[in-house]
Amino acid sequence: MAQLPQIDSLRRPNAAASAASKPRRFPWLHLPLAIVVTLLVGYGLIIVYSAVRADGDYQYSRQLGGVAVGLVFMILVWRFDYRRLSDYTTLFLIINVVLIMSPHIPGLGTDAGMGAKSWIKLGMQIQPGEFAKITVILMDAAVMARYGGNLDDPREYVKALGIMMVPFLCIMTQPDLGTGLVYLCIAAFALVMGGANPKYLLITLGLLIAAVVAVFAIDEVIKSSTGEYKLLKQYQRNRLLVFMDQSGTATTDEGYNLQQAKVAIGSGGLFGKGLFQGTQHSLGLLPEAPTDFIFCVLAEELGFLGALVLLGLYAALVLISFRIARSSGDLFGMVIVMCVVGMWLFQILENIGMDCGLMPITGIPLPFMSYGSSFMVVNFVMLGMIGSVWSHNATLKQH
Amino acid sequence: MFAAIVAGFVALLVVAAILVAVYAVLRSRKTENVSVKRDVRSIQSVGVSSSLPNSHRVPAGGVARGGTPAQPVANPGDNLKSRFTAMGVVAGLIFGTLATKLWSMQVLAGESFKKESEDNQYTTVYTPAPRGYILDADGNVIVKNRTSLTVLAEPDVANDHDVVARLSTVLGVPTGIVRKRIADSTSGAQSQRVVASDASMRNVAFIAEHADAFPGITVQTRTVRDYPHGALAAHAVGYTGSVTSDDIASVAEGRDLELGDSVGRSGIEQMYDNLLAGDHGERKVMADAQGNVVEVVSETQPVKGSDVHTTLKSHVQYVADKALADMICPDGGAIGSGKGTGGAVVVMDVTDGSIVALSSYPTFTPSTFVGGITQDELDLLQSSAAFSPLLNRAIQGTYPAASTYKTFTGLAALENGMATATQTWDCTGSWDGFGSGDVQKCWKKQGHGTLDFRGGIVNSCDTVYYDIGYKFWDAAANKGKSATLLQDFLKRYRLDQTTGIDLNGETSGRIPTPEWKQEYFRDTPEDAQWKGGDYTNMCIGQGYVLVTPMEIAVAYGAIASGNIVKPHLLKEVRNAGGDVALTYQPQVLDTPDVSMADLAVVRNALRGVTTDNEEIATLFNDQGIDPDTVACKTGTAEYTDMEDTAWFACYAPYDDPKYVLACVVEHGGGGSSVAAPIGAQVMAAALSSINASDGEVGDIAGSSGKSEAGAGKGTSSGRSD
Repeated sequence: MAQLPQIDSLRRPNAAASAASKPRRFPWLHLPLAIVVTLLVGYGLIIVYSAVRADGDYQYSRQLGGVAVGLVFMILVWRFDYRRLSDYTTLFLIINVVLIMSPHIPGLGTDAGMGAKSWIKLGMQIQPGEFAKITVILMDAAVMARYGGNLDDPREYVKALGIMMVPFLCIMTQPDLGTGLVYLCIAAFALVMGGANPKYLLITLGLLIAAVVAVFAIDEVIKSSTGEYKLLKQYQRNRLLVFMDQSGTATTDEGYNLQQAKVAIGSGGLFGKGLFQGTQHSLGLLPEAPTDFIFCVLAEELGFLGALVLLGLYAALVLISFRIARSSGDLFGMVIVMCVVGMWLFQILENIGMDCGLMPITGIPLPFMSYGSSFMVVNFVMLGMIGSVWSHNATLKQH
Repeated sequence: MFAAIVAGFVALLVVAAILVAVYAVLRSRKTENVSVKRDVRSIQSVGVSSSLPNSHRVPAGGVARGGTPAQPVANPGDNLKSRFTAMGVVAGLIFGTLATKLWSMQVLAGESFKKESEDNQYTTVYTPAPRGYILDADGNVIVKNRTSLTVLAEPDVANDHDVVARLSTVLGVPTGIVRKRIADSTSGAQSQRVVASDASMRNVAFIAEHADAFPGITVQTRTVRDYPHGALAAHAVGYTGSVTSDDIASVAEGRDLELGDSVGRSGIEQMYDNLLAGDHGERKVMADAQGNVVEVVSETQPVKGSDVHTTLKSHVQYVADKALADMICPDGGAIGSGKGTGGAVVVMDVTDGSIVALSSYPTFTPSTFVGGITQDELDLLQSSAAFSPLLNRAIQGTYPAASTYKTFTGLAALENGMATATQTWDCTGSWDGFGSGDVQKCWKKQGHGTLDFRGGIVNSCDTVYYDIGYKFWDAAANKGKSATLLQDFLKRYRLDQTTGIDLNGETSGRIPTPEWKQEYFRDTPEDAQWKGGDYTNMCIGQGYVLVTPMEIAVAYGAIASGNIVKPHLLKEVRNAGGDVALTYQPQVLDTPDVSMADLAVVRNALRGVTTDNEEIATLFNDQGIDPDTVACKTGTAEYTDMEDTAWFACYAPYDDPKYVLACVVEHGGGGSSVAAPIGAQVMAAALSSINASDGEVGDIAGSSGKSEAGAGKGTSSGRSD
């Protein structure tokens, strides 16, 4: 259903011509994407090595394992024809709910000492909420694909929005606001790129803002009657307060983290202190350096130029993905790619932004950089999905 | 600056790259429009789920639509492509914002962050410097240093029952005391608390090996004060204490204080703290977030403080300390087992003010303060029940001067024509010069008979001095003389001024005047009137007269030499290299304006006290000193319901005075029987020290704080001077 008719035509004429005239030697290999991803992953492995080398809590081999497993999954997904999945909205919804709610299953879930139930133990600890990003993207794209690029009917819009909100509501039971915001961001990209009526989008945005305000207001009322906040946890409040008032920061743990993150980045200067020469994380001043604050390690050791290289690689990845999306000619595939791009953009903005005090602190990892095998595998699967969209349209064209 | 320009240029490149990228997206979209149109037409028949014209539905597509004017064909791709543009702009904004923010942090503010990062890494650890020694005039050590293994605990360990219990077992100290020591915040709320000083190597090793079982416990090797002779000269040298946060807040300019240091709290330790304290060693270290030292960046060794050489002579000091202790607490007993409840001895070189001995009893062991004193111990040392061992009676104790005052009132009478050296008095044992019927008695009830001026002093006859007092009263009341003629003369000997000795906390005596009495009794005006009896009482050193032993020593020194010198304990300061860095310059504060003839009369009379009183002559003879070479005066101050306070003042050699001595024994009895034996003993030691510096120096014990009930209570056992 809902394949856009102008599939082929969305490609550039010359690209189409060259592809048609000269069969590619490796039709499944997207060379620019491969180069950018190789550089990005290599860059990430170097920085993670620097970050974990002084810290016995992390194993570098796990990160390498994550990359290896990720590569395997990427190839499998790449070869798989994504179009076969466009009809399984309901299935994805069920998978999402089961995945995200699985840490609540007694005996399976574990809170990993972080307060939120977002981990399960299956031989090793994994974060199902991380893997659910894949199915959330597929589900959101499948929902939008039904409308063929024009979602004008208010009832249908509400229905689509309702389905997309399910994963968010599920993850908030853990609770994991950071991942929930990623789901919301995916949904937003799906709605925008899937052709939802802008009027509805604006109304949704307005309602969202109103809801956030309402949460704070109701919490305030609850506090005045019961004496404590119920809706937002204290640490979430602290993070927001730290973000709002960055001057008097060092008093709370959150303020301390932010201050040390900023010191790490700022002290890197233009050229950095040199690879493996960072002092902030090696002296233990940056908690969670390999995961949430990996960018600080990079910025401290390689400076502004090193950070620019990373941003450049990300920009290239986003640009390539954009082009694949635009040339896909298939609404389902295009929305998938754009959702992946949206997810990456959000995580880049949130993670780096949090490190330099632009965004509130949440535990959102940096794609292809942060330590964490679940997350690495998920990112490779996302790449595989982009590759699938690209290659299956390319194949389609050649026939 | 160059770096900033380069970075700015790079940032510009990045922004430009982003713009180019966005432009590329836009441009490619435009070119595609052409093909789209064609393709859409060609596959129109396939059917599109949305058939509505989109011209009214494209919000952000203004720009995008600019290139494809009025295309009536319904084209969902067209519609969505405008959204690509929007997303491209979003992506560009994200990267642009991040790059700009990073540029401002890393390039513009990089230097200040770099400094913060360095502050994070480097900590300066101060190593306390050993304090300088305190030595006597001959270079004998009175206070030195030793190392001590000290077990320290963080304040919150007090709440950790397990750790307290383990410490108690290892150190062999009851848990209650361990907890009390940790809870004691006298050295500052945040500071580490001393659980045990001088811990044994074995215990320290055990704690170090089982560090996991002793969280918050550290062991330090500290340099602490060592007192080879116990309490010898305790009040002169003083004691040290750990620095508190209050000290650091109020630190004097030029003095560098860090937590963990010792500072002088009294005596020479306090007075010359700046000199005794050395320069801290500094270790600049790189430490991690837990405070573990990763690397030592630079290190300077601490420099020991300068040595303070005092004017004290250990042997004389020892004899003074011991004589007082033997008189008051013979055989180390409680106060009350001997004579008196406290006392003081001062020996001064009359030529330059050097203090040879400064002794006060009861005394304390300064080592009690090493490593921190407990509140209980401190309370005891300050309690009146233990007769305030911390009180330095030599400079802080004020007593009625009693007959020692007659030297000065007698001289005042000679100088003011109230008496002559050849005048005679008849003493019948009682005197009523005012004719008021209120008879004043001489200490010798049967009377001294006929006496001249010298006899008045030798026998300490009160009747003579009542008459002198009467003359002063009469001169003021009937002859138009000043009412403070006597007091003005006494002030020349500074008996109402602190002497200026280099010790803190000195108090001054009192010369009562009509004005003073008015003020003192302002609430009971009937007592405020200055009366003739006030003169007569003052002339025998009773009534409202108060002096400190130090004042008496300095004033008798002025009788002996003619000069009032400033007493001092500092002889010289030697730096860590042993070179003399500072030498005390003696000061003559004043030369009282009196005629040499009158002075000679008084001196002669004072020598008569030694030679003509068999009891005192024997005392000096027993010490191997010819009584003929000593001038002295005894005194016995009377109190109601308390035993008398004994006084003795003397100087020698008579012809060429060298040392002056003042001795007081609180509530000990008569001057000649209680204070004079101490004075004779100490003066003998002082005189022998002129030629020999190897006299015996033994250990002096601090006060136990114990006293017998009724110590010092009772009535006068009978004056004889």
